[in-house]
Amino acid sequence: MAMKKLFCCFAVLSAFLLGSCANQAKSTQVHASSNRKPAPEFTLTDSSGAQVKLSDYKGKVVLLNFWATWCGPCALEIPWFMEFEQQYKSKGFEVLGVSMDDDGWKAVKPYIAEHKLNYRVLLGNDSVSQLYGGLDALPTTYIIDRDGKVAFPAHVGLINKSEYVQEVESLLSDKRAHDYFGAPSILLGSAK
Amino acid sequence: MITLALPLFCLAQQNKITVRPPDAITVKRGATVTETLQVVVQPGFHVNSDKPKDEFIIPLKLTWTPGLLETKNIEFPKPEEVKVGTQSLLVFTGLFMVKTQFQAPANAPAGPATLIGKIHYQACSSDMCYRPSTIEVKLPVVIE
Repeated sequence: MAMKKLFCCFAVLSAFLLGSCANQAKSTQVHASSNRKPAPEFTLTDSSGAQVKLSDYKGKVVLLNFWATWCGPCALEIPWFMEFEQQYKSKGFEVLGVSMDDDGWKAVKPYIAEHKLNYRVLLGNDSVSQLYGGLDALPTTYIIDRDGKVAFPAHVGLINKSEYVQEVESLLSDKRAHDYFGAPSILLGSAK
Repeated sequence: MITLALPLFCLAQQNKITVRPPDAITVKRGATVTETLQVVVQPGFHVNSDKPKDEFIIPLKLTWTPGLLETKNIEFPKPEEVKVGTQSLLVFTGLFMVKTQFQAPANAPAGPATLIGKIHYQACSSDMCYRPSTIEVKLPVVIE
């Protein structure tokens, strides 16, 4: 009987430890809120000529995607991002595409029209590229939390759609989402 | 900032293609000569062909500095067709040859010289693309 109890305790303890390890492995992917660094601020122009600051999006979860019209893997992700924009917009989410095309709007505007992009596209430049580590490889995508901080390591290259879904949903389901969108403004200070 | 830049530093732009140093070509004034460049694409990468299917894709281009020799024709090999998702691309991989036919002007100055060529290309792997880049080729020429 004593042996049986001991075995049960060991089994429970093992399960707990395994669970902890699994959680720890998972949590290494996301930057802890306190360790997150602010996404570098920029001001760029969108396809209508409007000046857009990244900080304009504070309070929203942002998928910041650096791409180019000549980039095949980028083209694979674009339909996902259009879907995310539609699915999560009402929850305080935005996709921001930053095109790194050297030919500028001459190349990008026809692409936006042809592929019917439903999210905002900005034209990148070398300064922004330097702020985000050079951006030699595309696509490069950052998931930014409601405080304007980078919540996950940069995704360089094509990744699974499900990874984006998991990351975006984890930030949208953050309790602070309700503070930003549902609570009286007096509570916003504590949310930050 | 360093945190953002560091993971990307490892992916810093390096040439994804190299051109084997070409042998010197000898050409008589008024005559034509063909030079074959051997271009090597790094394993795991491809570069777009000279005639991509999609209008947004950046083609491979070889240009030679004008003046010394006249470029009559540039011939690229037949590209491979690869699929990236649903997109079908015409690309070059591994070792491929680019032939250029030159003509020496009748009044070209005799003697040794160097012709400069530039290859503008855009490389990708299966999951990422690199910004367009240009590499320079130096072709030793002897005009007789």
